[in-house]
Amino acid sequence: MHRGREMSGALTLKVDAVVVGTGAGGSIALRELARAGLSVVGLEEGGAHTFADFTQREDEMLPLLFQDMGGRTTSDMCIRVLQGRGVGGSTVHNTNLCKRTPDAILERWARTHAVVGAGPADMRPAFEQIEHELSVTPIPEASMNGNNTVLRDGVRALGWRGGMLSHNRVGCQKSGFCELGCAYDAKQNAAKVVVPEAILAGAEVYADVHADRVIVRAGRVVGVHGVLTGPDGEPRGELTVFARVVVLAGSAVGSAALALASNLPDPHGQLGQNLRLHPGGVVAGKFDRAIDAVRGIPQSYECTEHLSFEDSSDRRAWIVPAFAHPIGTASSLPGFGAPHMRAMRDYGHLAVLTAMVHDETRGRVTLDRDGRPSLDYELSPGDRDQLGRGLAACARLLFAAGAREVTIPAIVPRRLTRPSDLDRLDLRHADPRDFPLTAVHPMGTMCMGDDPARAVVRSTGEHHQVHGLFVLDGSLFPTSIGVPPQISIYAFALHLAPHAIAAAKG
Amino acid sequence: MYSALCDRKSRVTSASGPPSSSRRAALQSLAFGAIVLAAGGTVALVRGRGYTVTRKRPLVSLAPWELAVVVHAARRIAAPDRPDRSIPSADDLDVAGFIDSYVARMSRPMRRDLSRAFLYLEQVAPITLGLRDRFTDLSADDQDRVLLALESSPLMLLRGAFAGIKSLVFMGYYRDPRTWSILGYDGPWVAKVPHAPGDAPP
Repeated sequence: MHRGREMSGALTLKVDAVVVGTGAGGSIALRELARAGLSVVGLEEGGAHTFADFTQREDEMLPLLFQDMGGRTTSDMCIRVLQGRGVGGSTVHNTNLCKRTPDAILERWARTHAVVGAGPADMRPAFEQIEHELSVTPIPEASMNGNNTVLRDGVRALGWRGGMLSHNRVGCQKSGFCELGCAYDAKQNAAKVVVPEAILAGAEVYADVHADRVIVRAGRVVGVHGVLTGPDGEPRGELTVFARVVVLAGSAVGSAALALASNLPDPHGQLGQNLRLHPGGVVAGKFDRAIDAVRGIPQSYECTEHLSFEDSSDRRAWIVPAFAHPIGTASSLPGFGAPHMRAMRDYGHLAVLTAMVHDETRGRVTLDRDGRPSLDYELSPGDRDQLGRGLAACARLLFAAGAREVTIPAIVPRRLTRPSDLDRLDLRHADPRDFPLTAVHPMGTMCMGDDPARAVVRSTGEHHQVHGLFVLDGSLFPTSIGVPPQISIYAFALHLAPHAIAAAKG
Repeated sequence: MYSALCDRKSRVTSASGPPSSSRRAALQSLAFGAIVLAAGGTVALVRGRGYTVTRKRPLVSLAPWELAVVVHAARRIAAPDRPDRSIPSADDLDVAGFIDSYVARMSRPMRRDLSRAFLYLEQVAPITLGLRDRFTDLSADDQDRVLLALESSPLMLLRGAFAGIKSLVFMGYYRDPRTWSILGYDGPWVAKVPHAPGDAPP
């Protein structure tokens, strides 16, 4: 492991392949290329951290593990977008949810987006291998914390569909700090499992390197240029890696931004388009008993009553528990001053659910005048409707589980004191800008498919116009997948890596 | 948590009519922001004096006038809910000093955006409510009016400016263990359950 913050000057490397990004997709690409006997280098914008660096303090972990210190938003500031940085990417701070890409989604991509060779049967071996390697298992019901128990009780009381989730964690201490990095090294993630395997196979990883340009000559990729950065983000030097194959795996935001900054050919205007986010809003229920939602496994139970994956479905809200540590809670809670502090005193008695929209909105990634990624995303009327329905469903679940009071935080909050208030709750036309929305699953932006007029890369992951350039991250997905994307990203990287290997071997 | 808004009117029914385009609103916000920031800069030239800073440690990122804005905003945003001396104030916890050091880690564009938010809050936002004095010279009640207007502004740019300042203030406030008893929060576990033994990744 090399650290840009400990280097300076101008460095040039020549290898078979270079991978930009070391999250779910990048780590797998790095490992598979190395295991194929190729010389390969991985570049990571953030730092190289170990579990000993994870202090369980928000003020220290947000700058360490998140893009823009956790302050990234859509360009209209409507949706906060939490994305990881550092070796392991977002797998370091996620809550370990493991769900495969739904079969209906894979079939839809084949049917309507000319994606070839990625149907349910094609993808099954990759899903099975990844789940095995990451020790994916269902969470035992006995391990649910108070917040998840509330959701389960609500689901059962209403007779809705729900169940336990599967995770990639071994040796979990149930501290509740998953989103700030696991101090107990229990996450079986890219940083712990895959990157070390890649390094053992001969890959080299350079952390603290901001890749700023893909180098292309005569329609063929020849390398990547990057800037070595210090702990303060200031440039310390530069690194140029020449390679026959370049793999972009810096997320649906980062990969598209790098491609845009590199002026890659885009004859059909598809680059950066089709951004999906899975935006979600929250609803809080106040209980007489202590919930202590901040402790234990954050998300172990799901409600799928309002989620289906068929085309044009009108059930596109996925409901799971969502709770935050004190700073996150204080920031998302509307208001300030004395009323805000009074509300914070309820912290231990609150259960919070989120409704995440399996979105049809098509946003886009562009570059702002500083060269930073800009996320243009305006919820479509259909998705606004789904958000409203999802929030109302959360409120219903909380009352069904015994909440004394339910509040939907907003600029003008919706406060419900009895279940009959639900009958008057109509959020279908509510302005989404009034709600604190968060997204953690950017997708799309460099979609795959064999029709170059509609896709940036082929079904193999290789760029339609630039030979040797591959995309192996969530940018590939032509639509929202409606489930947490980490397993899908790992699996697609594994499934498509042989094409990158073949290209690197020439 | 969210019953905090109990001091403000809440509603159960939907907003009337469909929302306007957020992209158009964002563009309007940007245009408006450019105008008010230009105006703010002009006003700041006229009434931008009189900030004094007395601190043991030198500032590392904020200008003296920015620190003054942060001190005043933090006092209102993290104001206690009861007259209880056991509740630490933003001044007790040196929230502004924390923000000064935290902002030093931000990228230059982020720092620039934040500085513009401070400028707007200090010089322009009071004027939009008919208040003549700059934010740091207003009474506590008028400062609350200004902050409330920002939080609920129809312009997302201004809401975003408020959200950014508020997040920084609460980070500086609730990071401190002296505030955790307010929440019943017992803090990080690593002090009680140490990091896992074993080899760090290569």
